[in-house]
Amino acid sequence: MPREAELSNIERTFILEALAQNIRLDGRARDDFRNLDVSFGDDYGACAVQLGKTKVNTRISAEVTKPFEERKFDGIFTITTELSPLASPAFETGRQTEQEVIVSRILEKAIRRSNAIDTESLCIIAGAKCWSIRADVHVLDYDGGLVDASCISIIAALQHFRRPDVSIDGENVTIYSLAEREPVPLSLMHHPICITFSFYHGGETVLLDATLHEEQARDGEMIVTMNRHGELCQIAKLGGVSVDALILLGCMNMTVTKVKDITELISTKLREDATHRDVGGLIAELSAQNDR
Amino acid sequence: MPLDTASTYGQTLLRTDGRRWNELRRISASISTQPSTDGSSQFVMGNTVVVCNIVGPREGRGQRDTNNALIETEVTVAPFAQTDRRRRTKGDKRVQELQTTISSAFQAHLFTHLYPRSSITISLHVLSLDGALLASCLNAASLALVDAGVPMPSILAAVTSGVITSTDGITPSDPILDLNNSEELELPFLSVGTVSGLSEHQEDKVSVLIMESRIQIGQNGKKLEAMLAVGVDGCKQVRTIMGEVVRTHGTRILRGRK
Amino acid sequence: MASNLVFPGDAIAGVNIPASKSLHPASGLYRESSSAPILSTLAGKLEQNPKKKTANVTAPNARYIPRVGDLVIASVQRSSMDFFHLSICPHIPQAILPQLAFEGASKKTRPQLKTNDLVYAKVLSASKNMEVELTCVDPSTGKSEPEGLGPITGGMVFDISTGLAARLLSSQSIAVLEELGEKLAGGFEVAVGKNGKVWVDCPESGIKGIYAVGRCLQETDCGKLQQSEQQKLVKRVVQETGLG
Repeated sequence: MPREAELSNIERTFILEALAQNIRLDGRARDDFRNLDVSFGDDYGACAVQLGKTKVNTRISAEVTKPFEERKFDGIFTITTELSPLASPAFETGRQTEQEVIVSRILEKAIRRSNAIDTESLCIIAGAKCWSIRADVHVLDYDGGLVDASCISIIAALQHFRRPDVSIDGENVTIYSLAEREPVPLSLMHHPICITFSFYHGGETVLLDATLHEEQARDGEMIVTMNRHGELCQIAKLGGVSVDALILLGCMNMTVTKVKDITELISTKLREDATHRDVGGLIAELSAQNDR
Repeated sequence: MPLDTASTYGQTLLRTDGRRWNELRRISASISTQPSTDGSSQFVMGNTVVVCNIVGPREGRGQRDTNNALIETEVTVAPFAQTDRRRRTKGDKRVQELQTTISSAFQAHLFTHLYPRSSITISLHVLSLDGALLASCLNAASLALVDAGVPMPSILAAVTSGVITSTDGITPSDPILDLNNSEELELPFLSVGTVSGLSEHQEDKVSVLIMESRIQIGQNGKKLEAMLAVGVDGCKQVRTIMGEVVRTHGTRILRGRK
Repeated sequence: MASNLVFPGDAIAGVNIPASKSLHPASGLYRESSSAPILSTLAGKLEQNPKKKTANVTAPNARYIPRVGDLVIASVQRSSMDFFHLSICPHIPQAILPQLAFEGASKKTRPQLKTNDLVYAKVLSASKNMEVELTCVDPSTGKSEPEGLGPITGGMVFDISTGLAARLLSSQSIAVLEELGEKLAGGFEVAVGKNGKVWVDCPESGIKGIYAVGRCLQETDCGKLQQSEQQKLVKRVVQETGLG
């Protein structure tokens, strides 16, 4: 059975000694993120995020279903994460590992429970019809920073996604295809971003965006989710090494600036994508000439 | 007038159950409640009741760590624990997260390197639940581990703390300690678990910190800072109470030996 | 030494391999019968050596498959009565290394290896239906030289592609290492495992030196850098770390 290569003893010792001298294996400073690239597919709601060597793809899809009995006025939003053996020998299909549960749980808390999507706007006819929005997260390559990369890709994909327009006439609902009517963006309340902090040397050293090797050598982690308005959505320090409360508060303050940077990057990429799509602007759309 | 803490607190400075902001609910605990296991405890915090049994350290099964003991946790929330009867399935992600958290907290805290290739199983049964699920489980497990005689540098104690955001903008936002179930539903809250510092002068260190609600951190994180400070201080109070429980139990045993 | 790109199924013309030599499909070349043309079985670079009348196809990012005589860096998973069980890479089953297959090892003096310790070893046998067997001594001499086999202590191991590992082992000179050798005072030591691992130690420059070597190797590998780019990279990294 393939298994994740565990960190060897000399690698662990070296990583810790190098960190004590303020050296990271890839030459970054302690609070640097790896290269972050966000790109969008041809379809609405397809987003690929590359964070160093970690690659995550997210696909948003929408369908019309019946709302839950106890939440008649709300649409449905689900996030599914899939860690396939494609990304790392440690992942297996079929069996959910503890890591997979934690990742999906944190994304759930960060995005769904913090009401990033206004689910009420997804309601078409109360108790009868609503949109069900589904985000499928696929991890293609794994080199640490899974939660951060997944969260960025979901948020970017949700902003990129357009759902078909609908009109209601009494009990009749008409869904217009993308060609018939301009599709509508989702109504998002805020854009939460997850930042993972890794602790070393009994909590004295704090790293941002650890690679897989650094993750394997760490003593503990904390995932903080915030939006650019400085609203905390979620904190998860699930055990691990105990850390001074002041260091933790320092992490929260660091999150504020990092989240602003990342949100800014996502919106720049979205703008680029929008101008790229809108070739020629209104004039081109009005033209009756066909491509030959 | 609705009877919830957020609206009554501003006028009376008392919460719905009559406590002030920094008051814990009544805590009573006992250890060695179940002689058949290696260590056991019962922890009662207000209306939350948790029973904990420890099996181990014993020879590990399946995948073993050649350097440390592995901590395994099982949490069962009884169907009758809350007002609405609800059976939680085994695969419930919330419970799984709870188990991982407890295992990971004690894995880092206990001296597990003394028991290589072995395992310690913590099984927790929540009999009645009125808020502070994680905190009560951590406290119960801590006491049971003391009873089982697993070496640890200090007692891990946990508590919840929340914040009442002022609605009028004049009165300041107040942090509160140890929320009950109805307060947890209406207010943002933290679960904090701390261990005491290595020496007298060192501050307590935070081992577990979980927040699931959305909250403005305020100017320079002031609001969060207040919540965390109240939480860390609350943990200290809980630790004193837990220490007292262990001491009482110890003196009783010593008296019996004479 | 000429080289060009080939794809599976390409007929390899102009290769002067005697018909008597048997070809192994895993080496990238294959022929139906001794008179049939030689076909490529891999996509990669065709390398020929007219003098020795040999040729092979190498794919730089292929997964490592153990073959007899390869030098590898493997990590100890567990030990049993007579063997250490090692992982060469996560995708292949564990290999065995007899506890007495170290230089000068006897029942009393055999090395005590713990889980996740690393060993520099040679593949002794790799047949289809058996566990891969490793050794840390030359079977004929009983010595660990000239490769310096044995347990690895100190330094750091870096992951590189199997292609770069093969290049480093084939004693072709690589600009990065030569440049680093000039820049780093006291030089450094490397041991290359064909399974895509390089062990680096740098007693004089310490952690910074090891870091510089590892980072230069990994960036050369990822960026597929040309010679001049490699030299620039070395200059930059050495300057950043404040060495040289």
